[in-house]
Amino acid sequence: MSRKLVRPTEDPLWLKALLGAITVGFISILLLLPLLLVFKEALADGFGAFWKALIEPDTLASVRLSLIAAAIAVPLNSVFGIAAAWCVAKFDFPGKTFLVTLIDLPFSVSPVVSGLIYVLVFGMQGWFGKYLIAHDIHILFALPGIVLATIFVTFPFVARELIPLMQDQGRDEEEAAATLGASGLGTFLRVTLPNIKWGLLYSVLLCNARALGEFGAVSVVSGHIRGVTNTMPLHVELLYNNYDYVGAFAVSALLAMLALITLALKSLLEWRYADELAAVHRH
Amino acid sequence: MSAIGLKIPLPRSRHVLPGFSLSLGFTLFYLTGIVLIPLLALVIRPFELGWDGFWAAISTPRVLASLRLSFGMSALAAAIDSLFGFIIAWVLVRYRFPGRGLLDAIIDLPFALPTAVAGIALSTLYAPNGWLGSLLVPYGIRIAYTPWGVLVAMVFIGLPFTVRTLEPVLNEVGQELEEAAATLGATRVQTISRVVIPMLTPALLTGAAMAFARGVGEYGSVIFIAGNIPMVSEIAPLLIVTKLEQYDYAGAAAIGVVMLAASFIMLLALNGLQAWSARRR
Amino acid sequence: MSLTVDSVSKKFGRFAALNGASFVAPQGGFVSLLGPSGSGKTTLLRILGGLEFADSGMVRFADLNWLDMPARTRNAGFVFQQYALFRHMTVAGNIAFGLKVRPRAYRPSRSEIRERVKRLLDLVQLPGLEDRYPSQLSGGQRQRVALARALAIEPRMLLLDEPFGALDAKVRKELRADLRRIHDHAGVTTVFVTHDQEEAFAVADLVAVMKDGRIEQYGAPAEVRRNPRTAFVSEFLAA
Repeated sequence: MSRKLVRPTEDPLWLKALLGAITVGFISILLLLPLLLVFKEALADGFGAFWKALIEPDTLASVRLSLIAAAIAVPLNSVFGIAAAWCVAKFDFPGKTFLVTLIDLPFSVSPVVSGLIYVLVFGMQGWFGKYLIAHDIHILFALPGIVLATIFVTFPFVARELIPLMQDQGRDEEEAAATLGASGLGTFLRVTLPNIKWGLLYSVLLCNARALGEFGAVSVVSGHIRGVTNTMPLHVELLYNNYDYVGAFAVSALLAMLALITLALKSLLEWRYADELAAVHRH
Repeated sequence: MSAIGLKIPLPRSRHVLPGFSLSLGFTLFYLTGIVLIPLLALVIRPFELGWDGFWAAISTPRVLASLRLSFGMSALAAAIDSLFGFIIAWVLVRYRFPGRGLLDAIIDLPFALPTAVAGIALSTLYAPNGWLGSLLVPYGIRIAYTPWGVLVAMVFIGLPFTVRTLEPVLNEVGQELEEAAATLGATRVQTISRVVIPMLTPALLTGAAMAFARGVGEYGSVIFIAGNIPMVSEIAPLLIVTKLEQYDYAGAAAIGVVMLAASFIMLLALNGLQAWSARRR
Repeated sequence: MSLTVDSVSKKFGRFAALNGASFVAPQGGFVSLLGPSGSGKTTLLRILGGLEFADSGMVRFADLNWLDMPARTRNAGFVFQQYALFRHMTVAGNIAFGLKVRPRAYRPSRSEIRERVKRLLDLVQLPGLEDRYPSQLSGGQRQRVALARALAIEPRMLLLDEPFGALDAKVRKELRADLRRIHDHAGVTTVFVTHDQEEAFAVADLVAVMKDGRIEQYGAPAEVRRNPRTAFVSEFLAA
């Protein structure tokens, strides 16, 4: 009895080998090599040089600035995301689709355009430019501008995750709570929040990673003042353009580790809480 | 104060659940301040030049070259990402082998890695003295600092979009349909071309569109590897930045409007695709 | 031209799904494989269809060494429990599929295909639905289309895997009667898997009661009911 037959839905062995090789090869060359290179270059002069580059004052300043910007942007965006998801998922009103499309917008807009729009509003030749100069208020080339640009590029994250999640979960439980006399806030805290906690955590994680890593938008509004208005990614650019490769890759390694931790946590959350994450299949 | 006084009935809320006005109000306030007003500034600004000024600003050779580069390379990158994304999604969904989970998680790396980090890593990797660049120099192939560098960077950041859009659909297609086709006499090639691929078409297009949209606007991953020579390897976002540095706000805004319009169109196209594929189920 | 199944066995890992199953059916007979889940009936059916491969044993049909042939050359129509209709094709497209994928030499002309589709739709009592999509049909209608699709290739064997399992009782009865009618009309050897004994007994000429990968008893419905050969068979039938 010859058993050279393959099940009709299985690929023959040679094809499996070919496609497998293409897959592993493509992913390794395209994705893994750059990642490995970051760490290799960061440690090219040994761990001592790597460490020195990290604790250098301008680098530390950039880390501080990144963290502050994220610490402001992420909570604000989370509150927005919750508010938006609440009104979209629990109520019906005209213009809902338009609202949701508007929320999706920053995802499709170039980061440079995301920064450009704030320059057009707050810059010297912008709408409020003269007013700001007259009152010595600095938005651009200072923290407020950086925070605004960061908010713009990261605000869809939480909303986009929570909207489908809360829509999936429906209104029944909240309506039940309302009939039992719970207040709005009480309903939200006791009924809704526990149901969305993993989706919220997941999206906050991604929001934070993007906030710390944003480059294009922040680059446009920041002014690139060394030690003052450079976030970590901008500092990487500065070091790289000044041929300080160990420095540039050292800070990059820090950001890359953050990215890997984010990926690991993301996978963990997806694996354990797949049911409570609406957007897992929706990217 | 005593409690006599008219009991004024509260307006009957049309909604069962509380918090509608508050949440909608805050949402609209936030969106207006953060998104709408700045976007309005963008859309209005080029027109201080008038229609003719606007067209003049975006039809200079340098601007057109940058738009051609950004859009052209994105399209090519999206096509490459679709092809390889399909193969990768196929392998990751259908084959079982050790390390598959890890490989699957790595696909998201371009999503998670800051663009500047990706930018300098790719630039160093494909430079003539880099790990990969040095391998190609003997063949006369230069990647870094040429338009091909732009392509590589865009393929890098677009890959997650195509793979992640295809995976769930491949999962859904499942075994039975292919078994049915086989019992009806179809060869494997016929089954793939007549059954599997048509079912994947919406997802293929969606993934490609998303990769394209991302590539067009990409900045950080591209500018280090690109070379940035005007008319040759200068991408549109970089030109916007350059114009801003020269205080040509109107010119920068003009290009920005073009890119925004492209984003809007892509967004509409994607929504349309979603609706189309939903109807076919 | 009978169907001879001889000591077919199959393991999935360590689990023995089939453990030496054997039976013989006459050409054009209607056999039902009846048993609880895990009894191996679906595995045996899939082996007959070429969707799984036996570890050992033999099957002869139409003078062919059946198990040595790949699924697509067996010309065995298969009807799945979840219909497995091609969602992106119309009803006509689904039914015509088996004819369109034939090598050019054996492919009927387009008008001929259209004719056949029409006749088959009439046969399964769904006239005029050529241009609908599966998503627009009810469960019962979808299963009729699946049946028509399997019949379109003029199969020498018809295999059905709990085809009415996902449908409600009334629809099941109707489809059952239609299936029997079509079988008698076409004269095709049919193997029908079910866990519902009422269904098996109502529709088949021969019933094979299965347990743990073996056929416990095999015979005409009336015979099996009258003389259950093992305790399991009598308990299963009494349930």
